[in-house]
Amino acid sequence: MAALPAIAARAEVIRHHRQQGGQVAAVLPVHAPRALLRAYGFLPVEVWGPPGVRTSDGASHLQPYVCSIVRNALSFLLSGGLDATDLILVPHACDSLQGLGSILLDFIKPRQPVVPLYFPRSDGAGAQRFLAEELRRLATRLGGISSRAPAADEILQYVVDEETGDRLLLELHEGRRQLPLTNADFYRLVRSREYLPREAFETAARQALAMRHPDSAPGKTLLLSGVVPEPTSLMAALDERQVQIVADDTLCGRRRVYPPGRSRDPFERLAQSWLSGPPDSTRGSSMAARSDYLVRQVAASGARGVVFYLVKFCEPELFYLPTLRKALQRKGVPSVVLEVDLNDALSQQMLTRLDALLEMIP
Amino acid sequence: MNPAASLAYACNARVLGPAALRAARLHAEWQARGGAGRSPHLAPPLRIAPRCKEMVARHWLEGRYVQGVRKVAWVTSGAPVEFLTALGFYLLYPENHAAICGTARVAVDLAAAAEEAGYSRDLCSYVRTDLGSLFSGRTPVGRLPRPDLLLACTNICQTVLFWYRVLAEHFGVPLVIVDTPFVYGEEASPNSLRYVGTQIDEAIVVAEKVAGRALSARSFERVATRSRRATELWLEILQRNRHVPAPISAFDQFVLMAPIVELRGQAATVDLYAAMLCEVDERIRRGVASVREEKYRVLWDNLPIWFRLRAVAELLAERRIAVVASTYTNAWGELAPYLDTASPRESMIRAYTYPILNRGTGHKLHIMQGMIDDYHLDGVILHSDRSCKPYSLGQMDQRERLTGGLKRPALLLEADHNDMRCYADEQAATRLAAFAEMLEAQR
Ligand code: SF4
Ligand code: SF4
Repeated sequence: MAALPAIAARAEVIRHHRQQGGQVAAVLPVHAPRALLRAYGFLPVEVWGPPGVRTSDGASHLQPYVCSIVRNALSFLLSGGLDATDLILVPHACDSLQGLGSILLDFIKPRQPVVPLYFPRSDGAGAQRFLAEELRRLATRLGGISSRAPAADEILQYVVDEETGDRLLLELHEGRRQLPLTNADFYRLVRSREYLPREAFETAARQALAMRHPDSAPGKTLLLSGVVPEPTSLMAALDERQVQIVADDTLCGRRRVYPPGRSRDPFERLAQSWLSGPPDSTRGSSMAARSDYLVRQVAASGARGVVFYLVKFCEPELFYLPTLRKALQRKGVPSVVLEVDLNDALSQQMLTRLDALLEMIP
Repeated sequence: MNPAASLAYACNARVLGPAALRAARLHAEWQARGGAGRSPHLAPPLRIAPRCKEMVARHWLEGRYVQGVRKVAWVTSGAPVEFLTALGFYLLYPENHAAICGTARVAVDLAAAAEEAGYSRDLCSYVRTDLGSLFSGRTPVGRLPRPDLLLACTNICQTVLFWYRVLAEHFGVPLVIVDTPFVYGEEASPNSLRYVGTQIDEAIVVAEKVAGRALSARSFERVATRSRRATELWLEILQRNRHVPAPISAFDQFVLMAPIVELRGQAATVDLYAAMLCEVDERIRRGVASVREEKYRVLWDNLPIWFRLRAVAELLAERRIAVVASTYTNAWGELAPYLDTASPRESMIRAYTYPILNRGTGHKLHIMQGMIDDYHLDGVILHSDRSCKPYSLGQMDQRERLTGGLKRPALLLEADHNDMRCYADEQAATRLAAFAEMLEAQR
């Protein structure tokens, strides 16, 4: 395996951005307009939990049946983990994030402005127009907070630039089999997009793509679906077993690799791009769209099995699970479900189940 | 129309079944007059309760035979249905069906069938109950008609969106989604309202296609008028509980609300609630209290615990606690001001964007605070419903504000609306007893 190109740590990137006079936006899952934030001078830094925070702070606001992404994010905020941010963007990905956004706005009222963003679930023609208009409203809000007023052309440029980032991300995912990286390193690389400025991410991605090796021969191959590859002990466990994740279908991963938009209006273009992204539970895609897509990914990547790595209490993901597993079963693709809390280590029982899956695949 | 189905429908759903239900109602009324099943702490149910039950039972009975006779739509509880009613659809509410299963205590058995099929126990128990019923073919209402159309409105939760995606896959019928952006602040944006309007227009087109006929403006308006009238009457009934002692408990309301949810555009519903209001007024005149020795008046937040409705009511009444108001039953009344019958489309957009579940946690606190004043309440029971995140999130902060600022004891009662496995009788009894002591201490 080759060494991963150097990637700056999150804290360092934030510090550097602030030193340059930039502002930082804490961005909760799942879909967020990175380009728009950048156009207004914000560095988007995503908050998927994070794992391992003291959850007692959040426990006085949230019931125990709320997922650990939301619980940890709130705990992280309350314990000062987001002090270096100037804005909290809360996309409406699910009922739990809806609740969190609302609690932040109505009760907790943190120092930073809390900005919710609704993602449309309608299949109809009005969805794109609605989303474009919501993005315009968001831009106005960002302008108010940052005191910046980029012109439409400037915003469009950011959108186009981020599309390049998306294209590189797609290349990394599609070329995963040829990348001589461990699973842990691969995910460190693709997930660096969660906080790196686009330019830095592009550099790291291009370096990694230059390492592609046609003869790279992975051992057993899997597709990883679910929410987020945390706790990362799963990666270590797979690396130890010489298993390669050759395709990704996680919420934090490939489900956010959007195709480019077409419009010359930056907001319309962003909306077009988002709405034509891969089928996704949090967008309420149809069961057929989700399962067809997953089956296609498995076939295209040559994955022999699927791991659903879910965060406990994640309703959107849990709803699709039976349909997806049935579709895989019809194709003879075995799968396993590992449901985790971000704060727990991977249990022995889960490893045993993972091993049982691995035994079933060539 | 299928002639055999029509004949079966005419005989069973129009003649024999209703006759049997009428007989059952007369029997129940006669028994009630004799004082059967009376509680020492609770007033008897309203005299009109058997009629309400008969009406609801007739609706489900019709569902058994309606296939092939009328078009059937399965809809979410907060969906804009006036155009479907006007188009002649038979409406089935899976949530109400699940609640019936919960009350009949068969929900866990049914949920097990869904869990067996891979649906997690962490999903809403209404969903598991209904999917279990679908997969196993078992239901306490006899038989559920297959839908020709599905309509899911996200104004109560995102859960229904996923749930109806599963149903669409299962039945292979059109699914119409009316997505209502969550209202975080005071008002929905014009963009949101326009978006909802566009979807309602699209939904009407699909429904017309399935119904095989065009929506008549007159019948749409007529249904909207009845909806509004029924909603107003329902709100008036609830508001009569501002009177001390309260004439009708929230536990009665939970049962009596079925028609306002599933039959709200019908003339019979208007008549029912008009008669109910008269009876409630008569109770006030005669000084009848829902809890005989009412001393404390409290608010119930969230869905009821369907499988322990009576037990919890008794437990509280024993301690002289009357649950006189509920954010849940109020949700169907508070829409009344939005319903303007002169422009049903516009009023539907507003009415279905603003239900309590589509608004922020601060708004709900505000509603609760208003109810505390209006209904002269001493405390609040917040049912922390494991199955319903949109209703339950925010309750911990709401409790904090209620106990702190308003100095009202507020209990967070951990339970589930349908899944008995998430409810411990003893623990709940202890918590409710402690709550009663807090109310006592507060006096
Ligand atoms: S893990 Fe699931 S439930 Fe939790 S925030 Fe993400 S999408 Fe929502
Ligand atoms: S999650 Fe709540 S609002 Fe949604 S269907 Fe279940 S009980 Fe109803």
